[in-house]
Amino acid sequence: MKANPRNVNTGIYYIDGDVASGQGALAAGCRFIGGYPITPSTEAAEAFAKIAPKAGAVFIQMEDELASIASVIGASCAGVKTMTITSGPGYSLMMETIGFGAMLETPFVILNIQRGGPSTGAPTKTGQADMMQSRWGSHGDYEIIAIAPESPQELFDYTIKAFNLAEKYRCPVMIMADECVGHMTEKVVIPKADEIEIEPRRFYNGPRDKYLPFKPDKDLVPKMVKAGDGYKLYITGHTHDEKGYPILTQNSKVKTQKSTTRRLVDKIKLNADKIIELKEENTDDADVVVVSYGISSRVAVRGIEKAREKGIKVGSLRLVTVWPFPDKKITELAKKVKAFVVPEINYGQVVFDVERCSHGEANVILIPHGGAGVHHPDDILSAIEYASKENKKIEGIIEHKTKLEKLIFEEGYKLKE
Amino acid sequence: MATLKTKSNELIHPMEHLLRMDRIPHIWCPGCGIGTAVTAFASALEKSKIDLDKVCIVSGIGCTGRVAGYVKLDSFHTTHGRAIAFATGITLGNPDLKVVVFSGDGDLISIGGNHFIHAARRNINMLVICVNNFIYAMTGGQVAPTTPLSAYATTSPFGCVEPPFNIPYIADSSGAVYVARWTALHIRRLTNSMAEALNKPGFSVIEVISPCAMYYSRINKLGDGLDMMKFYHDNSEIKHGEDTKNLDIGFQTKITVGKFVDRERPTYTESYKKWLSEIKRKK
Amino acid sequence: MNPIITAFAKGIKKSGVKPSRISVPSDIPFEPEVVKHLGVDFFHTIRGRAIAFGTGLKLGNPDLIVVPFIGDMMTIGGNHFVHGGRRNMDLLIICVNNFVYREIGGKSAPIQKCEKEQTTTQKFSPYSTFEKPFNATHLANSCGAVYTARWTALHTDELANSIAEALNKRGFSVIEVLLPGPNYYTSIKETDSNLLNFYYKNSVIKNGEAPRFVTITPKEKIIVGKFIDKERPTFIEQYNAQLSKTLGDKFTPHGGKNG
Repeated sequence: MKANPRNVNTGIYYIDGDVASGQGALAAGCRFIGGYPITPSTEAAEAFAKIAPKAGAVFIQMEDELASIASVIGASCAGVKTMTITSGPGYSLMMETIGFGAMLETPFVILNIQRGGPSTGAPTKTGQADMMQSRWGSHGDYEIIAIAPESPQELFDYTIKAFNLAEKYRCPVMIMADECVGHMTEKVVIPKADEIEIEPRRFYNGPRDKYLPFKPDKDLVPKMVKAGDGYKLYITGHTHDEKGYPILTQNSKVKTQKSTTRRLVDKIKLNADKIIELKEENTDDADVVVVSYGISSRVAVRGIEKAREKGIKVGSLRLVTVWPFPDKKITELAKKVKAFVVPEINYGQVVFDVERCSHGEANVILIPHGGAGVHHPDDILSAIEYASKENKKIEGIIEHKTKLEKLIFEEGYKLKE
Repeated sequence: MATLKTKSNELIHPMEHLLRMDRIPHIWCPGCGIGTAVTAFASALEKSKIDLDKVCIVSGIGCTGRVAGYVKLDSFHTTHGRAIAFATGITLGNPDLKVVVFSGDGDLISIGGNHFIHAARRNINMLVICVNNFIYAMTGGQVAPTTPLSAYATTSPFGCVEPPFNIPYIADSSGAVYVARWTALHIRRLTNSMAEALNKPGFSVIEVISPCAMYYSRINKLGDGLDMMKFYHDNSEIKHGEDTKNLDIGFQTKITVGKFVDRERPTYTESYKKWLSEIKRKK
Repeated sequence: MNPIITAFAKGIKKSGVKPSRISVPSDIPFEPEVVKHLGVDFFHTIRGRAIAFGTGLKLGNPDLIVVPFIGDMMTIGGNHFVHGGRRNMDLLIICVNNFVYREIGGKSAPIQKCEKEQTTTQKFSPYSTFEKPFNATHLANSCGAVYTARWTALHTDELANSIAEALNKRGFSVIEVLLPGPNYYTSIKETDSNLLNFYYKNSVIKNGEAPRFVTITPKEKIIVGKFIDKERPTFIEQYNAQLSKTLGDKFTPHGGKNG
């Protein structure tokens, strides 16, 4: 399906990432955003509030993030495409309801412009420390999809992709951008409506009395109906059977709990190959591969260039979709390469999965960064240099400190006896 | 208050002992009313003769949320919206302390609205000073639950569509024992109110209408801080004891100020003690 | 819950609203059979978020009539309640108040019966409570509700009438229903008639009473009735009016005529 021209403000713009994401949401057919102002994501809400009414979409500023996310799931149940916009602290508040959304299998998108944490942290500075939270934040077993864009143009494009994935797999989709990308102003091209591919909602259109809200299709994803269409929906956050009814008897509770959570996990895991998008460069002959995402991947480009100038065979693997994690790809690369270098603006999150998937066959080097800034390309270069020289297999994750960090904590913290 | 001089004849600010001078200059914009509220608060602290070691100040997030960081008391800068909940913990942890929650309208009434009504219901012993500038100023001018109808803000670019809260009414209906409203112009009355409320046990609320020259006034083309002060001068009406339901604020309409509620009700700690002794007696 | 469900079913019938237009986000679980019987769409949301969820439902599809059932007496979801009232979201809140017993303070028969039973809620405050309860009506009124009523499990007909009336009313309507929750209910089933008797003796109908004076206090009669019925533009009406004013032809009203 193509996008509705009414929603697409075709043109060439010079806008920041947040605004681009607002435009992307509208182009993807978003009809409802419930949001709450929080730096550095506010501009996206403002942009959407400005463009939405003319296209018939609604923006409402709710009283808090708890309400934003609940209203977003409600609107999704009413049959429209929805999104919410937030950052660190707001994201933490949303966690309970994200799990609820995953259980209900309502499609919705969360734009999280990550900032420095924990708590209030550094609101106007960047961070990438919500990556694990996006995956494991709510209680219980479920899987989500997370995308990490690296430029305003990508925030536009991948917001549309996020909506498409959410509709296709009926799960929460997180756009895990960071403050740098959100506040970066660049050229953004919004194409014509007929060049934008949109995934329509999986509506059920069989006989009314045969409808089962949680009966999965072949790809493990069930079909939806709108509230108010006379289906007498019964939707609950309890473990439920295909009818949507909560399970009360002890025996079937065990069985249904297993089958429900299994499907919530498997519908993403088994479809992972279709979901995952990676950008791979020069990995064929590489000794070292830089695995990165978000703004870090943009910084890494320069570090890789410099390393190549020095004759080091280095490739790049950019995780566009961070979750589900590209297990197979990393395992496959680990057999060929000496080491992975993972620059992250946190003290190690995605790197754990890189280490897990490399199965000890390649060294894994983390370049941690405390946030409120990005890596210097030289930090990445020095890590690559170290990685290419290190011939020994070293167990676990090797920390390679940035220059700045070495300057500040020369010796690092040590426990005193 | 006269200018003070140290022994070495150096000029110092008369409120130096109440403010964290090492953090000055503050972050507030020219024309903002929060500084006025802080000055009034500092004067009220002196006037009330309260033991300064037994006063805690708690703020949330936002422009007014920075107040805790500039006042030389035990200060806590908490997360967004949780100032009252945090303060509830302090006052129940040590009932001897007087807790002052100094925060903005967005922080206290929007995201912290639930804590606000519940603390009022329980009549927790605290003074809530809510600086109402009609907008989320720290994040750049988003619509707040206090933004008057049809006023502009960045997330309501075509005019605000939601009626604002009448903060005194909601405080009154939830059970606050002391409710007053002043503008940043009424410094003396505001100071007196604060001093009075500092010595009053129970949940007291003082709303301070404050100009936001940088966002609210700029977006709505209302001039600078001085123009807003002139507006308050011409349009505020003092009506003590007015029924709180008549205190709605519209866009550039008359603002009723005054002390509206001053009643007695057992505080949470008092009822708790009474109830505890009853149970002990029964056993 | 049974008296409320019955009254709700009666109210729907009386109001003439098509049940399929009604969506019920609720933080109290309903029996699937009940939902089928009512013919509504039911969403069992997480605790406290029924109103926020309902706000989304209503804005997502303005044709829906959204009836959030809230059971926690505005503890965790209190903020959504006051803000819903302020916006005048077109929702009908059925507020199931089952804590009355403890709040009345162990002064009457059903309560003392309850206090002997250690139900889940009571484990939290085993010696009954000393906190002042909300006057939900006053709170609703102070934040801008257009319709408030309070009935007990005894007043099922009045309750049904109120529900029918409120279903056809636009704006934030609150109907508070006093009844013991399932835990209490099962534990004092044998005293059903006692309970109704208690309500019969201890309640007084005062329609149009000022919300300020309808607090539920120990030893005093519970005032029930319809307290507020006023008109105020709803969120969607206000939204459409304001945006049509500023945007003119560029704006198509949200939800068309049903907004």
